[in-house]
Amino acid sequence: MHSAVAHHFESLEKQAEAQRLGMWLFLATEILLFTALFAAYGVYRFLYTAAFSEASRGLETWLGGVNTLILVTSSFTVAMGLDAATRGRTRRTAGLLGLSILLGAVFLALKAFEYHHHFAHGELPGRYYTGPIAGSGGALFFTLYFLITGLHAIHVLIGMTVLAVVAVRCWRGAYDAEYHVPVELAGLYWHLVDLIWIFVFPLVYLI
Amino acid sequence: MSPLPAGDPPVYAARNYLNTPATGLRSWLTTLDHKRIGVMFLVATLVAFALGGVFALLIRIELLTPGPTIMDAMTYNRIFTLHGVVMIFLFMIPAIPSGFGNFLLPIMLGARDVAFPRLNLLSFYLYLAGAAIALWGMIHGGADTGWTFYTPYSTTTTTKVVPILLGAFVVGFSSILTGLNFIVTTHTLRAPGITWSKLPLFVWSIYATSVIQILATPVLGMTLLLVAIEHAFGWGIFDPARGGDPVLFQHFFWFYSHPAVYIMILPAMAVMSEVVCAFSRKNIFGYKAVAYSSLGIAFVGFFTWGHHLFTSGQSPYDAGVFGVLTMFVGIFTAIKIFNWVATLYRGSISFKTPFLYFLGFLFFLFFGGMTGVALATVSLDVHWQDTYFVVAHFHFIMVGSTIMAFLAALHYWWPKLTGRLYSERWGLVGAVLIISGFVFTFLPQFLLGNEGMPRRYFAYPARYQALNVASSAGASVLAIGFSVVLVYLLVALRHGPVAGSNPWGSRGYEWETSSPPPLENFEVVPAFERGPHEYHDLPAAAPGAGEGRHA
Amino acid sequence: MTAHAGDAAVPAPPHSHRGRYLAVWIALLLLTGLTWGLSRSHVPGFAGVAIALGIAIVKGTLVALFFMHLWDRPGPSRLVLLSSLVFVALLIGLTLLDVSTRSPLALPPDADTAPEALRRTILEEEAAGRRSPPERLPRATP
Repeated sequence: MHSAVAHHFESLEKQAEAQRLGMWLFLATEILLFTALFAAYGVYRFLYTAAFSEASRGLETWLGGVNTLILVTSSFTVAMGLDAATRGRTRRTAGLLGLSILLGAVFLALKAFEYHHHFAHGELPGRYYTGPIAGSGGALFFTLYFLITGLHAIHVLIGMTVLAVVAVRCWRGAYDAEYHVPVELAGLYWHLVDLIWIFVFPLVYLI
Repeated sequence: MSPLPAGDPPVYAARNYLNTPATGLRSWLTTLDHKRIGVMFLVATLVAFALGGVFALLIRIELLTPGPTIMDAMTYNRIFTLHGVVMIFLFMIPAIPSGFGNFLLPIMLGARDVAFPRLNLLSFYLYLAGAAIALWGMIHGGADTGWTFYTPYSTTTTTKVVPILLGAFVVGFSSILTGLNFIVTTHTLRAPGITWSKLPLFVWSIYATSVIQILATPVLGMTLLLVAIEHAFGWGIFDPARGGDPVLFQHFFWFYSHPAVYIMILPAMAVMSEVVCAFSRKNIFGYKAVAYSSLGIAFVGFFTWGHHLFTSGQSPYDAGVFGVLTMFVGIFTAIKIFNWVATLYRGSISFKTPFLYFLGFLFFLFFGGMTGVALATVSLDVHWQDTYFVVAHFHFIMVGSTIMAFLAALHYWWPKLTGRLYSERWGLVGAVLIISGFVFTFLPQFLLGNEGMPRRYFAYPARYQALNVASSAGASVLAIGFSVVLVYLLVALRHGPVAGSNPWGSRGYEWETSSPPPLENFEVVPAFERGPHEYHDLPAAAPGAGEGRHA
Repeated sequence: MTAHAGDAAVPAPPHSHRGRYLAVWIALLLLTGLTWGLSRSHVPGFAGVAIALGIAIVKGTLVALFFMHLWDRPGPSRLVLLSSLVFVALLIGLTLLDVSTRSPLALPPDADTAPEALRRTILEEEAAGRRSPPERLPRATP
């Protein structure tokens, strides 16, 4: 039996199945975590429609768009990395995961640039808001903007860390064609981070 | 299934989880064994229960007289907040799932451990860490918001609300990890022979509980975090002074906290489905109905949160929808009650202590449930909202039922946990004291609420005093009852007679192994050919405690 | 080893998925461009929101089905995702149902949907100094 099988599992296959299900359940909790913010966004967008569209138009849409392309691409490289791992080419996997981490870093850099822009223009959450939009709507938009994109950025950071750990272990040959569940699980997490951004992009930038 | 020859003296398993691999404190704190983690959860939640109980007694002493009795209004606000926070987040939510669930679920599945033992230990330490953060906040002044943390008061109060919020946030993660572990374990680690239709009903209910823990807890986590951010930085998300909507907070809070009621009650139902079969020596009536109604409650429980917002300015359409949806929970609960009662019909009932608690449970569940249906009626709720009627209602359904189940579980599985038997005579005394104490504490509160006494005030008009004194008297009976239970159980730990593997003659899978169970649960994993609630092939008479089990 | 009573395990797919990943990637890039482009033409009101969210749902489905392998791995994972989405819809739906049908007097006073008279009164009171505008901190110097 493979050395990675824990004592209470009967086979590697069974263990992988358990780990996958566990990861999916964890991803479900992540989805619900973001849902509270999306629901708040929906409610306040309904209550302050005019202010929200005005604030949203003030964002740099091209930055959001480029970031979307970057994250989607990083998801693709992670998927290719898993494909390499299933054929035992773990060095190649490590390289592709490294590329994904790099793309994640570019994403964060662009996000930081955008945040800097907001700071300079007083587009800050709640009582710190000094932007041009009258009433409470503009301030609330930026409260939700920073909460959603900030929480997402934290997830990008965590995802990069997870990918880095898995990439290093791949490089050192910890996984092979038979056992590479950690690559798959790290990939699932990264895809979820991408998936959430796919919804953040239109909500925050486009509508 | 390796029947013991009849008449063998009961055996205390020499090699068991209590002494393998070691007995030191270190071996406990670093253990990955689900049974030890379950026992540690039980001890920790019992400590929390004692703490919350002390707060409850302080509340009842304060309410003895209409004016100030032993504390000022501010202290009273803090005490009832801490009572709620400790009892709900630190005792009732984790007690049965994390305690008994951890101990029993893998054994009932014929598994050697839960799917992720390290995550399981992490869950315990997250619980401790959350409790420690909350405790720190309590020592440094506590919060005065009530356990519901309603905005905008909670975001403007000067008391230590942030550490308490963060404590509850961290404990929430413990709850998530436990639920995740149970679901994966149930899916992937069932022993050969245990199909979904042969799953013990305890497992079905705990599984349903886990679904709620996974899907609802993250929303609470986010919400508590938002309140903490609002309190610390003023980002305006729930603050009407900054354009925020405080009712939105209530939506988020109850999206978790209403299903959380089912996190408490479903495990109670889990315990009772086992107890009712074991002590009436009958097959469960309507296995599928009982099993699926657990999932039904978990599902429908999510559609009802708005009934907490009937008087908060919520839209009347939403209130109507939520009022009707709430009553669906009554259907699934009634399915369970009818099936349990039908199980009792022509059963060979033995009135052992766990069964006494089952009877108490049935009363509290039924009474609390019916008042719940009344409260779900919007027009009636407007009258009762924020009165002691609501307090008495949720203490009956949520606390009464859960505590009955917790005590039933403690007594029913005590021989499995410790290998020893408690005194059945003192068990009777304790059960009578606790059940009657509970009724005498909260029945007067129904009457008080109906007369219009609002909750959460430390003073009240003199005409309410008689009923308040009655309630406080009931609380002291309750306290005596719990002390009696504590004493005889501690005595039994050392001096109780050896139980043997199956003192109740139960057919549950967990009784197939020795008591206390060995490290990996079964020396020889049984074939699990029959269901876990099948008594029809047994002689009708119940065996006395300490006898060998019927084969 | 005896067969487990648990859910049927699916053997690892023997063939490579590279072509599929490539196709999904290109589709995602195109869809991102599409939604971006459509947003430039400012489709008004609900239609614009529906189009943007519709494209996001298509993109999300592609990621979940192919990058996250729900397509070729049946079993509880699909159920987990689907049930979590049910509860996403539930929380967002019933909360929005509330704010969209609530009595205007129970809404934040300067919301778009608040009664116009109430809003005008608030603005007039603010202008006359009888009521303080939403609390703000002085702008921090960068």
